[in-house]
Amino acid sequence: MKDMSIDTIAASRAATVTALSPVARFSLRGRGDAVAALSAALGVELLARVGARAQAGARDVLCLGPDEWMIHAPEGDAAAIINACAGVAAPHALVEVSDRELSYAITGPQAAELLTLGCPRDPDSIAVGEGRRTVFDGATVILWRDGRDAFRMDVWRSFAPHVTHLLATGCRELALG
Amino acid sequence: MSRFRVPGMGRVDHEAPVKFRFDGVHYAGLAGDTVASALLSHGVHLMGRSFKYHRPRGPVSAGSDEPNALIGTRRSRARAEPNTRATMQEIYSGLRTVSQNKYPSLKFDVGAVNDAAYMLFSAGFYYKTFMWPRSFWDRVYEPVIRAAAGLGVAPDREDPDHYAGRYLHTDVLVVGAGPAGLAAARAAAEAGQRVVLVDEQAEAGGSLLSEPSVRIGGKPAWDWLAAELAALERLGVRVLPRTTAIGYYHQNFVALCQRLTDHLADPDPALPRERMWRVRAGQVVLAQGALEKPLVFDGNDRPGVMLAGAAQTYLNRFGVRVGDRVAVVTVHDSAWFAAFDLADAGSKVAAIVDLRPEVSENLRDGAKARGITVLTGHTVTGTSGRLRVTSVRVNRLKDGGGLGAPRQIDCDALLMCGGWTPSLHLFSHTKGSLRWDADGRTFLPDRTLEDCRIAGAGRGLWGIADALADGAAMGAAAAQAQPGTVPAVENDRTGGGIAMAELPTDRNASRARAFVDYQNDVTAKDLRLAVKEGMRSIEHVKRYTTNGMATDQGKMSNINGLMIAADALGKAPPQVGLTTFRPPYTPTTFGVFAGYHRGGHFEVTRKTPIDGWAEAQGAVFEPVGHWRRARYFPRGREGMDAAVARECAAVRNGVGLFDASTLGKIEVAGPDAVEFMNRVYTNPWTKLQPGRCRYGLLLGDDGFIRDDGVIGRLADDRFHVTTTTGGAARVLNMMEDYLQTEWPDLDVWLTSTTEHWAVLALNGPMTRDVLAPLVGGLDISAGAFPHMSVAACTVAGVPARLFRVSFTGEVGFEINVPARHGLAVWETLMDAGADHGITPYGTETMHVLRAEKGYIIVGQDTDGTVTPHDAGLGWAIGKAKPDFIGKRGLERPDLVAPGRKQLVGLLTEDRSRLEEGAQIVLDPKQPKPMKMVGHVTSSYASAAVGRPIAMALVEGGHDRMGETVYVPMPDRVIAAKITDTQFHDPAGDRLKL
Repeated sequence: MKDMSIDTIAASRAATVTALSPVARFSLRGRGDAVAALSAALGVELLARVGARAQAGARDVLCLGPDEWMIHAPEGDAAAIINACAGVAAPHALVEVSDRELSYAITGPQAAELLTLGCPRDPDSIAVGEGRRTVFDGATVILWRDGRDAFRMDVWRSFAPHVTHLLATGCRELALG
Repeated sequence: MSRFRVPGMGRVDHEAPVKFRFDGVHYAGLAGDTVASALLSHGVHLMGRSFKYHRPRGPVSAGSDEPNALIGTRRSRARAEPNTRATMQEIYSGLRTVSQNKYPSLKFDVGAVNDAAYMLFSAGFYYKTFMWPRSFWDRVYEPVIRAAAGLGVAPDREDPDHYAGRYLHTDVLVVGAGPAGLAAARAAAEAGQRVVLVDEQAEAGGSLLSEPSVRIGGKPAWDWLAAELAALERLGVRVLPRTTAIGYYHQNFVALCQRLTDHLADPDPALPRERMWRVRAGQVVLAQGALEKPLVFDGNDRPGVMLAGAAQTYLNRFGVRVGDRVAVVTVHDSAWFAAFDLADAGSKVAAIVDLRPEVSENLRDGAKARGITVLTGHTVTGTSGRLRVTSVRVNRLKDGGGLGAPRQIDCDALLMCGGWTPSLHLFSHTKGSLRWDADGRTFLPDRTLEDCRIAGAGRGLWGIADALADGAAMGAAAAQAQPGTVPAVENDRTGGGIAMAELPTDRNASRARAFVDYQNDVTAKDLRLAVKEGMRSIEHVKRYTTNGMATDQGKMSNINGLMIAADALGKAPPQVGLTTFRPPYTPTTFGVFAGYHRGGHFEVTRKTPIDGWAEAQGAVFEPVGHWRRARYFPRGREGMDAAVARECAAVRNGVGLFDASTLGKIEVAGPDAVEFMNRVYTNPWTKLQPGRCRYGLLLGDDGFIRDDGVIGRLADDRFHVTTTTGGAARVLNMMEDYLQTEWPDLDVWLTSTTEHWAVLALNGPMTRDVLAPLVGGLDISAGAFPHMSVAACTVAGVPARLFRVSFTGEVGFEINVPARHGLAVWETLMDAGADHGITPYGTETMHVLRAEKGYIIVGQDTDGTVTPHDAGLGWAIGKAKPDFIGKRGLERPDLVAPGRKQLVGLLTEDRSRLEEGAQIVLDPKQPKPMKMVGHVTSSYASAAVGRPIAMALVEGGHDRMGETVYVPMPDRVIAAKITDTQFHDPAGDRLKL
């Protein structure tokens, strides 16, 4: 997911916001025996700690809740993920939500501070390599922290213009010092 | 050099003159001045008129507690602000300021006639005077009172400034950057904590800015301050000046308002004017210090009468002497030091009047060394001077009570000090309890549930050394560290005092203009009158007199008011109580509360993937929840009625296309999916086969309709639930609530797919002609894919979930495709249907078509008090099911009683269209008030039916078929016949084509 095409929403010396290309997204739910079985089927360990992420190849899995994971994968991998989970007999639910959200990269020296314009959670409470579901300016978002100064934000499609508008405002505001 | 400026004194830049205007007159101040200090440097004390009596007023303080010197500030017509405190507004080149509440001029004001009539305007004046005759209230009294109310003039243009906001997480937040706050920040930061230090003033330092003669750690105070701020910067402490902590909320959530541009001559227009910081702090240290109290005596409000501490600040911080010949009246040692500083700076101190019989030796010696007359055991009983104090009337307090003969002392400024009140506001916001300190006659902070500490004068300590030590201790405690060493303090001018109600007088106290609340013009006499008239609680006294209800929130008046009320009641102050402190601490702009949420960013506007296409077609939109939806698609100069009639006809006779993407969608998946559905919806689901759909009805546990929608079974363990547009989030939350709290044993999970799918609804008898050629992998003929079917297929090459459902009564398909393909598939359908006259239609047409079929809209035809039976949907209840949400609610006696309001159709006899919301009566000739038996819920013109149709909730409506009811309107009464709600194709044959 590093070689995404770039569609710049806003850029300043403080931070840059770019729209990312579509990926396959799945909400995976399950508990008990299903967790180990699904981990084996997907080839990625479903971590139990909320906010923890595990990767295998280009599959990136974030634990959002006690029985909930968000899977990001290349679009071509979607069918394989569906098939893998279909073979798991233990109770679980896999729902494709690829088109529910749009994703934006938020990078730059003040990327974390930019998030404080709308996010009541402390961005520094998200370790590099982790993620969280939280809110930004009233909209539910998922934040993935890929580096000290690099976040990705997933937001439901119809909320994206509102959210990116404030991010763009923030890019300008932070650059003023 | 202006006349009252002392060369070389203060923190202002004597080399940097700044020109500004006050009431049209040009003045030169210095960089670092406030409007008040700059005007005082020119000997201008008169800055405003009081609210009720229009009395001339000047600044009484030098800070945010200022009640008098309220001015209008202005950059332009739109960038103007009334009621700005002249004591807080920093000057910049070109600043324009005006005085308020005066006509025609500040020095000659006709409104001051109120002052001459002041005996009339006593406490409760409005309550007593404007009661009768009742009819005068609306037309005479209220308009006149409203015209006279309020200080200043609000700008009449939209605010062109913008406002910002941030969240901030920190380990320790320190409020107040005086010695206690600085020491607390240092201690916490040295213990490795993230620290934020805020102060409402333009620079950090607090009392040190007014007390330069003190030496800390061997350095002059200001050298120590500079070094300390540098040290804090090195330690990573975020210091925010011009930042007021306005409110303290649950769990150490503190709101800060930071002023960013109001002090700048030419701010970058890109800069926000103010920023709201929403701080979540692990620990809070409140180091806000104490506020000086005025003394209450006749004429204590004349320009030139001010707090002694304020005079000390004007001198030491701004280099301004507040007068040439200064008198002092005090009950606290601190005023003596202010007098000494002024004497040392060249003012003549005419006398120090102290009500205490004795003061300490060092004060007497200090006065003697400066040749100052000392009058201990004396009081002040009046002042003279019209626009500025010219003399003070002083009497000796006799040993056995009573006063000696008055003497007059000439002065051009009178400094007063009634002692100091700890600033308890933020602490009180936490619901912290207060403790009455009988010795100090003041309230002190006691206990709070928050992780909050008070340091320094805010908890009754006095002196720089004590403040530093306490701040360091509190900062260390907040960081769970050991306190470090505190620097030694030399020349710390400590002291104490007593507290008084109003000062004794030899004159008629009922005629004294002895002000307690300057801004609201409340006098001691008003407070005593309120008690005399029966007010017992301080909360009642406050509301009756308006004491403490002005924009300064009683910072100066609350304690004095309490002392006087307690004295009048003969009770101890804590028995009378203290009024509640409420946020914000100081007046705060609406702009900073709104923050980024204005204009296009005011609120989220959700748009579907088809929205841009609809806009390009000239669609008229309407808001539905947060969504904006195309209401109709006018052609040419069509109005709504014509467009809707055309769109309806297209669907009834040909084919129409509708954007249903906003429908809520929830995927219910897992082995227990069917059990979950049985428990949540009224309908039975067990026998619904995969590939089939059913109308689902959702109740609250009270038995009333909450939501509805068509639900498709995709597999044994998977349902595709749709909800109303507005109900999507609510329904998912309700389902999750039940799942997590009532049925955690069920293996089923809920996922919102609302925005994953774009939903394109094709309706009309020619639908299949358009759709069939585009569908891959599925036979959609009537036989193979009957009404209420669902299947996966492709449409225009895109993977789709295809539903055969209808909300119009015509053959209908809802094509669900991944959202990113929605627009492309929509356009393909438009192209494919062009030969059939395919017509896009909006929500208004959808409403008409569904009403013709009697399909309800939850929230329009129901209002939270409608049961399935009331709505004619009793058939949707699975009677054999052991339970579902609302099953027991439906058995409540009033829900099964006869005569409930039931949904029926209405056809007007004169074929006019009823108004939605209109009330219904059975007998239009009955006397008023008539008994209303129901109301119209939906009403439309209907081409298909050939006349207007309506739906209504009517008492016992299902048993009134064929009866005539009446709808009284302002101009006439409309008769209407009760009918079934299915107006069009009641047998449903057209659905099956």
